[in-house]
Amino acid sequence: MRGLALAALVLATVPLYADYTPFYLGLLTEVLVFGLFALAYDVLLGHAGVLSLGHSAFVGVAAYTTGLLLARYRAPLELSVLAGAVGGLVTALVLGALVLRKRGVYLAMLTLALSQVFYYVVLMWTPVTGGTDGLGNLPVLALSEPLGWRLSKRPVTRYYVVAAVVFLAMLAIRYLLRSPFGRVMRAVKANETRAAACGYDTRRVKLVAFAISGLFSGLAGALLTVVLEFVPIENIHWQMSGAVLIMTLFGGTGTLLGPFVGAGVFIWMRDFLSKYLEYWEVFVGASFVLIVLFLPEGIVGTLARLVTRRRAAPVSAEEDRLPEPERLVRADPRSGDADGRLLESRGLTKRFGGLTAVDRVDFVVRRGELRSVIGPNGAGKTTFFNLLTGVLPPSAGRILWKGADITGQPAHKISRLGIARSYQITNIFGDLTVFENVRIAAQSRVTHYRFWGNPDRLTAVNERAEEILRELGLSARRDVRGAELSHGEQRYLEIGVALATDPDFLLLDEPTAGMSPDETRRTAALVRRLAGLVTIVVVEHDMEVVMGISDRITVLNYGEVLAEGTPAEIRENADVRRVYLRD
Amino acid sequence: MNGCILVLVALGLSIVFGLMGIINFAHGIFYMLGAYAGWLTVHLTGSFWLALLAAPIAVGLVGVLVERGVLKRIYGTRNANFAGVLVTYGLAIMIPDLVRMTFGRPGKPFAVPEALTGSLFRLGAIDVHRYRVFILLVTAVLLPLLWLLLNKTNLGLVIRAGTSDNLMVQLLGINVARTWTITYALGAALAAFAGVITAPLVAVAPEMGGLVLIECFIVTVVGGMGSFVGAVVGGLLIGETLALTGMLYDVLADVVIYLAMALVLLVRPRGLFGQEGMSEE
Repeated sequence: MRGLALAALVLATVPLYADYTPFYLGLLTEVLVFGLFALAYDVLLGHAGVLSLGHSAFVGVAAYTTGLLLARYRAPLELSVLAGAVGGLVTALVLGALVLRKRGVYLAMLTLALSQVFYYVVLMWTPVTGGTDGLGNLPVLALSEPLGWRLSKRPVTRYYVVAAVVFLAMLAIRYLLRSPFGRVMRAVKANETRAAACGYDTRRVKLVAFAISGLFSGLAGALLTVVLEFVPIENIHWQMSGAVLIMTLFGGTGTLLGPFVGAGVFIWMRDFLSKYLEYWEVFVGASFVLIVLFLPEGIVGTLARLVTRRRAAPVSAEEDRLPEPERLVRADPRSGDADGRLLESRGLTKRFGGLTAVDRVDFVVRRGELRSVIGPNGAGKTTFFNLLTGVLPPSAGRILWKGADITGQPAHKISRLGIARSYQITNIFGDLTVFENVRIAAQSRVTHYRFWGNPDRLTAVNERAEEILRELGLSARRDVRGAELSHGEQRYLEIGVALATDPDFLLLDEPTAGMSPDETRRTAALVRRLAGLVTIVVVEHDMEVVMGISDRITVLNYGEVLAEGTPAEIRENADVRRVYLRD
Repeated sequence: MNGCILVLVALGLSIVFGLMGIINFAHGIFYMLGAYAGWLTVHLTGSFWLALLAAPIAVGLVGVLVERGVLKRIYGTRNANFAGVLVTYGLAIMIPDLVRMTFGRPGKPFAVPEALTGSLFRLGAIDVHRYRVFILLVTAVLLPLLWLLLNKTNLGLVIRAGTSDNLMVQLLGINVARTWTITYALGAALAAFAGVITAPLVAVAPEMGGLVLIECFIVTVVGGMGSFVGAVVGGLLIGETLALTGMLYDVLADVVIYLAMALVLLVRPRGLFGQEGMSEE
């Protein structure tokens, strides 16, 4: 809050410090607009973890929309700017919907390629857009509309109007980033697979992030038209995307101030360095490479890290009591189909090329059961879990949940049905705190797209998260990053994240993997106590654990069901003995 | 002809991505540098044939420098693939200006070598130029050789194995670091070769890399990233579409290929010949 007040003060008084020439004030205005653009860009990169190289389309479409409305239709200034922002939003939605079929660097490549379509349209549609000459002759100054007259010939007034708009936009972005939805974006950035397993439709979350980014990029594009009174074709060329990327990374991604600092540095290079260095792009490119290699947090991020001393993580106060399972589980005991069938697979098959990892598996789990799935390495246990939880689509067969066909549903829908899972290889939100790991999972049962309010005031969600941490003995570690926990603690957190989604059905993939004998005993006791309250299927290698806790056991071998029965039956089964002894 | 050149450039991009998971934004730069290296060779020695050899070697060495000097630093870091895009992007901004600094802003003329000037025969109303036939033949010879390199040699085996499981290949005791360097240099050399043979058809200019890079992106999206056949078919498809629409209705040429790409993305996101799961992350 103090930072914001300071920023407002600086913005308000800058023109007073010195006798700025109109040229400098114009540049300063431009820095603010580009700073807004970079901030909007960082909503996607720094907060949702999506690298876009197509933002030239958002800013460009907005700049031309505003420019055309002003030049051709003599529309009021406010309306033109607003229309520009909406243009950016719509462009981002269209582009995002196409590219989000892919992820990572491939997505980045697609954004760049698709954004060039807009450039070519502008280039060829010369009668309307002016082609390579750009769009000039904008009657911004001549307008006598409510705001138009204020943007008179005095650059100071124009500076203040733009500064006010940029400041308000920054407030809005800050508000959005701090909303419950902002936390969802960060979870998707931290670990997309886990976020989906918590019930979040990650592709849609990213699309919304695109839309927000596009809206504010559009606002920046519209303002750019107003400031320059001209729309150069460079605004929609792919190098504009490069420029905003450079600004954002120079300043530091994930911060509010960084993009503005980056914009300042970039424009300083462009307008001052270029006076002395004809080939200033060599310098820009080289410093960009160096920043990526050696200062990945950018200028502001690095400074912030140096200034704020890291707080030492509190030492874990190990609680040696067993959790109260009633507090961990909120399953509905009446759920399930008439004869108690909760989850069922029929002829479930998964082929990878020539390999059949899961082969015609028929599997029924009844409400309240604790089922173990065992089998030698490569028997298809984890693939089976991945099929049940929608991570992989099956090649054949069906999956039924309470009698209804759920085959082929994506992971986030499976989670919303009340099916949660833990992973064999620890899969938590490493960059988020322990508390936030559990909190974001609990939030998925309450709200996904809430763009307002403070997530820390979602009382029910917070209490649920605190309760789970307390019961799992992780309260003392609540403010530590997930990645900094010990292995055993991470395995517990893994279960905590799954439980926070209030499942009816829990799939645990080797919960004791890598644990000490003591931790293994604790975990086995925990799983046993959870059983009866929630239906559990557990993949486990530790035979002592399996025999000790299971109601029934299913044995997989080469993807097929080899045997199924009570622990006693399985112990006596000849086939099972053969497979395990040979192993 | 456009198709042939696109195939060669896109192939390098695709191989590097397949092995290293990096979208090499500096790839267009190698193409441009190839054209300049070719121009320089012809300028100094007068021999186009020498240029065909010298440019890929010189630019391949630049590739080694980039891989050893810059890319090596990001392997194994968090978000290494993002960082790979970012640093090569930085190079793509920097190097054209370096070239402008060295060779001047305007492009360089590059004449068709004398032995290959003129038309070979007439096909109806169309002159079939010797040089264009030459490009076609060179590509037709080079592609099978490359295929053999990737499919029948030890190096190719390591590259393909590394594409599917890098860690495993390392555990087998194979020097993956060297394979990466060689692969990156090979991609650069291919792009450079394409740059030299294109040079007589277009003006050699610092900006020529950016355009071809984006066209290669489209090729790999349509054909399927990481696929040899995909790069070949995609390159020919996109190259000839560009040439045809360019002849019929110039204005549309650039937009049609983007529409083709959008269509492939909607209908078959992994591309015509792409493997399932490839390019997801």
